[in-house]
Amino acid sequence: MEGSTSAVRKPDLDTRIAVTGAGIVCSIGRNKDEVWQSIAAARAGIGKLTRFPGETFPTDIAAEVSAELPKARRLSRTDLLAVMAAKEAIEQASPPLERAIVSTGTSTGGLLEGEDYYFRRIVRGRRRAPVSLVLQQPTSGPSDAVARTFNLGGGVISNATACASAGAAIGMAADFLRSRHADVAIAGGSDALCRLTYSGFNVLQAVDPEPCAPFDASRKGITLGEGAGYLVLERWDDAVARGATILAELCGYGASCDAHHPTAPAEDGRGAEAAMRGALAEARVDASSIDYVNAHGTGTTLNDSAETKAIVASLGMGVPVSSSKSYFGHTLGASGAVEAVVSVLALQHQTAPPTLRLRERAADCTLDYIPDTPRAMPMENILSNTFGFGGSNVSLLFRRAS
Amino acid sequence: MNRVPITGIGVIAPAPIAEIDRFDTSGLSAHTAALVRDFKPKDFIAPMKMRRMNALSRLAMAAAKLAIEDCGAPPGPNTGVAIGTTFGPVQTSVDYMQEYVAKGAALAPPQLFAESVANAPGSHIAIEYGLRGFNVTITQRESSALAAAMYASSQLVKGTVDAALIGGVEEANEMLFSVLDRLGALDDKCENGIVIGEGAAVLVAGAGTRKPYAYLSGFGIARDTTATISDWGTGHESVVAAMKAAIDDAEITPADIDAIYVSANGSRRADALESRAIEALFGARTPKLIATKNVFGEYAAGGALQLVEAIRGVENHRNVLVNSLSAGGGIVCAVVSA
Repeated sequence: MEGSTSAVRKPDLDTRIAVTGAGIVCSIGRNKDEVWQSIAAARAGIGKLTRFPGETFPTDIAAEVSAELPKARRLSRTDLLAVMAAKEAIEQASPPLERAIVSTGTSTGGLLEGEDYYFRRIVRGRRRAPVSLVLQQPTSGPSDAVARTFNLGGGVISNATACASAGAAIGMAADFLRSRHADVAIAGGSDALCRLTYSGFNVLQAVDPEPCAPFDASRKGITLGEGAGYLVLERWDDAVARGATILAELCGYGASCDAHHPTAPAEDGRGAEAAMRGALAEARVDASSIDYVNAHGTGTTLNDSAETKAIVASLGMGVPVSSSKSYFGHTLGASGAVEAVVSVLALQHQTAPPTLRLRERAADCTLDYIPDTPRAMPMENILSNTFGFGGSNVSLLFRRAS
Repeated sequence: MNRVPITGIGVIAPAPIAEIDRFDTSGLSAHTAALVRDFKPKDFIAPMKMRRMNALSRLAMAAAKLAIEDCGAPPGPNTGVAIGTTFGPVQTSVDYMQEYVAKGAALAPPQLFAESVANAPGSHIAIEYGLRGFNVTITQRESSALAAAMYASSQLVKGTVDAALIGGVEEANEMLFSVLDRLGALDDKCENGIVIGEGAAVLVAGAGTRKPYAYLSGFGIARDTTATISDWGTGHESVVAAMKAAIDDAEITPADIDAIYVSANGSRRADALESRAIEALFGARTPKLIATKNVFGEYAAGGALQLVEAIRGVENHRNVLVNSLSAGGGIVCAVVSA
């Protein structure tokens, strides 16, 4: 046949993908245990913005990481968050690392340090400003930092697909394992708060002056957050063979584009719907088998309405949905990974995190959004949604380990 | 069908390396780059749309238009987009911060913020042509476009999309140039450092009516664990592993490779590393080595121009290898087949 020579190896969808490690850092905790304790206690991590003292913005709250980060020369804050979460994931899984690939999504990389450099350049000029600040500004920074810290030999791949970045990174990693281009994947995302995003979402009037209230009638926008999340992914049979503990299965993902507007989602939710349908198709799971959706749920008027329409269209009215962004804000390029870790924890604990601050469901938000407190319920298959600027959408389908 | 047919090519190429006249290089050690000259975005993009686009988006949109015209028929809605860019919207971030300083955090222009995300070019392309498949922007240093091609190819053979636009885009600007210069990365003579390039290139895969120029037939990825944060390492075995993985993926042997579009960029460590790896894998029977970065510079079209050259050059060969070695240790290799 024509494929007898020169064939790109196909990602084999019969190859099951195991999640054998997970790591997270965000405003509600420095690791999985702390994060889950906060979730169980319905304790959000949203407070006054402190990271840019002396600068004023139209709104003044954020979901900052207050934990002290490990020190490392030349790494950006985004890199450090990435290394911290990746460390937790890698230590849990202890996978073989020679052919481990790292796949990271980030929206801004080391832009925070880039801003510092920019300010110093104004004062000191381009020949004297400390250029080491911007060494890690490119969005390849977190992947490179994780790979270097843990001596990963399988390869590095980074994507900057705005807020869909980490979802894309995880999906991409799964395919590299299925096509055997790598044996292990450290896949996730990281983003530190920076001035450009804090100011930018404000000028777009997309920030709620109060802590975000996804799906609520009073919702006014997002709460900006920061953090990182990583999963260790392996081919199921390899994980079983080496006796690894399997936390969950990544059964498939769907990726789509609204092709609608640079920053606003398509109002009918068509792209989000296509991503969820794509995940169902790849996982060969019926819509009726989805037990919970960890929504993108940003708290903007447009997203929550469009996402609700997309869920109704692809899964029906019955599925419980919640937004864990009500705890730790919108962690931007990291959100797909931070929320993937929360989704894996939800499966392990058989408990869905609630949507906090949901006082009055909006008229265009017609689903069961799990208000107020965590809900213990049996869950086999769940979706984790991540959408971003540019209309990129990714939906990941996780299954309880069995 | 696991080969990925390339049926359209669109390029906004830089002019050959020359003295920089777009921004001031006085006091810096390097003064040359391969810059795009005489590019008229209005020949490609409607004025109302153009106003919302930064330079990267304009370059990428123009290359996409040329590629789609070239392939003979527009791709359908189930088409994915994978764009590579090394540095992305550095200039837009600088422009935004200028306004931020001048007007304050509340009054910077939202339009600049919308274009400050690296995936803005891919998004504009999707909107213009109604492309609703995956849409990602790969930012893996020098290997960005090759990694974008690798991901897009995996999705095509998996069957989640019918077609894909694969490409890369880069913009040379004062901030980037002066920082690289300060880091000691640049050398006008391309003997102990790189010369930077810019531009955009987009390929159409799996759509159109034209006979394919070539096929993407294999990919390999690895990392040199001896690399430092901003330089290349000495672990040529990892480069061998990536080349071998790409050749294995294409289901051929090293003897089937007639030419290598080398990564060589003038950085001594990078070039020595690649040379040792090629010698180790191919021994005495070294394929023809073809360098492109001495013409287009490093980062040209996010690395996509090197791939375009390989696709255009393959008609004289059976299979060619394309190498991309990044500072920091990342390696991506591809096989392009006639």
